[in-house]
Amino acid sequence: MLHLLKIDLKKLIDYRTFWVICGLYFFTLVAGAASGMEFLKWLGRTFEQFGQSININRIPLYHFPDIWQNLAWSAGLLKLGLAIMVVISITNEFTYRTIRQNIIDGLSREQFLISKMLTNLMLSAISMILIFLIAMVTGLIYSPTLDFPYGLTGIGFYPAYFLEVFAFLSFSLMLGVLIQRSGLTIILLLNSYLIELIIRENIDNYFPQTVPFFPLESIMNLVPLPFARYAFQEVRDYVSLGSIAIALVWTFLFNYFAYLKLKKSDI
Amino acid sequence: METVLSTQQLTKNFGRLCAVNHLDLEVKRGEVFGMLGPNGSGKTTTLGMLMGVVNPTAGNFSWFGQPPSHHIRKKIGAVLEHPIFYPYLSGQKNLELMALIKEAPVTNIPKVLELVELSDRKGDKYKTYSLGMKQRLAIASALLNDPIVLILDEPTNGLDPMGIAEIREIIKRIATDGKTIILASHMLDEVQKVCSHFAILRKGNLVHSGPVDDVGKGEEQVEVVAFHDDLALLLEGFMGASSIKKENHQYVVKMKEGFHSQDLNRYLFEKGIVATHLVTQKKSLEKQFLEILAEADHAAPIKN
Ligand SMILES: Nc1ncnc2c1ncn2[C@@H]1O[C@H](COP(=O)(O)OP(=O)(O)O)[C@@H](O)[C@H]1O
Ligand SMILES: [Mg+2]
Repeated sequence: MLHLLKIDLKKLIDYRTFWVICGLYFFTLVAGAASGMEFLKWLGRTFEQFGQSININRIPLYHFPDIWQNLAWSAGLLKLGLAIMVVISITNEFTYRTIRQNIIDGLSREQFLISKMLTNLMLSAISMILIFLIAMVTGLIYSPTLDFPYGLTGIGFYPAYFLEVFAFLSFSLMLGVLIQRSGLTIILLLNSYLIELIIRENIDNYFPQTVPFFPLESIMNLVPLPFARYAFQEVRDYVSLGSIAIALVWTFLFNYFAYLKLKKSDI
Repeated sequence: METVLSTQQLTKNFGRLCAVNHLDLEVKRGEVFGMLGPNGSGKTTTLGMLMGVVNPTAGNFSWFGQPPSHHIRKKIGAVLEHPIFYPYLSGQKNLELMALIKEAPVTNIPKVLELVELSDRKGDKYKTYSLGMKQRLAIASALLNDPIVLILDEPTNGLDPMGIAEIREIIKRIATDGKTIILASHMLDEVQKVCSHFAILRKGNLVHSGPVDDVGKGEEQVEVVAFHDDLALLLEGFMGASSIKKENHQYVVKMKEGFHSQDLNRYLFEKGIVATHLVTQKKSLEKQFLEILAEADHAAPIKN
């Protein structure tokens, strides 16, 4: 297993595009999360009105335990950056035909796919750990009181966030394997949510109960939007096992479809 | 001798096109096996099936008597059609990656780079290489795991005469190490120069296979030039001659079965004539090839 991960990393480690995209992604992740509070303060200072109408210090954006879900959800928006990297990595193998040489050299098609999946797992894990650390640090800085274990409620969103990233990267990998051309794949990836939305809206009227089962919807459902709670609305502030189950099934299917396609096509 | 590769009724259809048709091949250890055929005759497709990238429509094959698996492929060095590498990686890094896949020791890398004379450019990105360097890196990569079998598909394609000579030199050097080599080519002289055995493919059908040395067997033709007015008459008196032709300044004597140039030489000498030119025409693979193709056209109507 580790051997297969090493193979895929070897392809990426000297690839400038990989570092540029991953660098931008992780930088945005850290900078975005760390500067959120400062940004709110700056808003408060600059526009006095803003500071008066909502007392920013009263919004516990960065307070334990709110911060867990707030950051996990916000970071989820950025996963598209990683997804584009994954698409480039897999479609390169088709445009350069290096997948062909990999198989000739002695990888099985399963192993080839597994090596890509392992990289996806690794990127998801790094994202999760990073976001967890940022939440920890900023929480310790901004929380007025530290009240554990109450402050840890919602920490379950981190495994959920991990699954969210991995599921989406699996989806991107599958699109890359099916389409094989980078430009087309990225366009489809960017529009995939819109496409799902259109289909969903049409079905919604007849079978509203099916909505949580849509693939991208199920991925989004893992960590629900938390901010509505600051407008006195009810939000789900726990990880629902149902949403985990649905997303797991889709993750399995994405990778399985990629496997089927690789298995039966001439490379 | 040990069988390295055998195929049974190996077939590949692309839609309605039959690229490889019920192919039976056998390659033994130590052979330099040429797969000869015009472009589009199914050489690359056959090798693709043998290397696991093309799924056969029907038939089987086995390497070393075992059913195909990706483990066996690690023991084979193969380059199909074009060199394939990661363009943004250096030659060295590409080989390191390949060593990882093939589970080959990285200590082999300097050796193979040396063999193809790429050591001084190993740090440059692959995309900056010339075509000849790419082909040489491909050969180096195929040799990386000290393979028992080497598969080369048109390894001199697109090269200038110098590059072609270099690559052939490398192949010959490898062959003297006792490795089994399978060489696909549409160039007759290439096969003739480096191969010990060969098979001819035509539109996916096997039309001939056998040792290269057999080519040119059968009756010999000898070119003769000598200063004598009645040379033609004299030559007709030679009991080993089946026919005599005048071509430009020389006579071409077609020999009967069992007669050779030395017999003709002795005969002339006995008649008191010293030939200034006496050469056995080796029947070229090209002639043989064309003959075989012509026979195939007449004998077996090709099914498509
Ligand atoms: N992927 C493919 N799809 C459709 N036809 C193909 C494919 N690969 C090869 N062919 C066809 O199969 C035949 C054999 O091709 P190939 O094996 O490349 O021949 P060669 O290597 O002897 O030049 C050709 O007619 C070619 O057009
Ligand atoms: Mg070919």
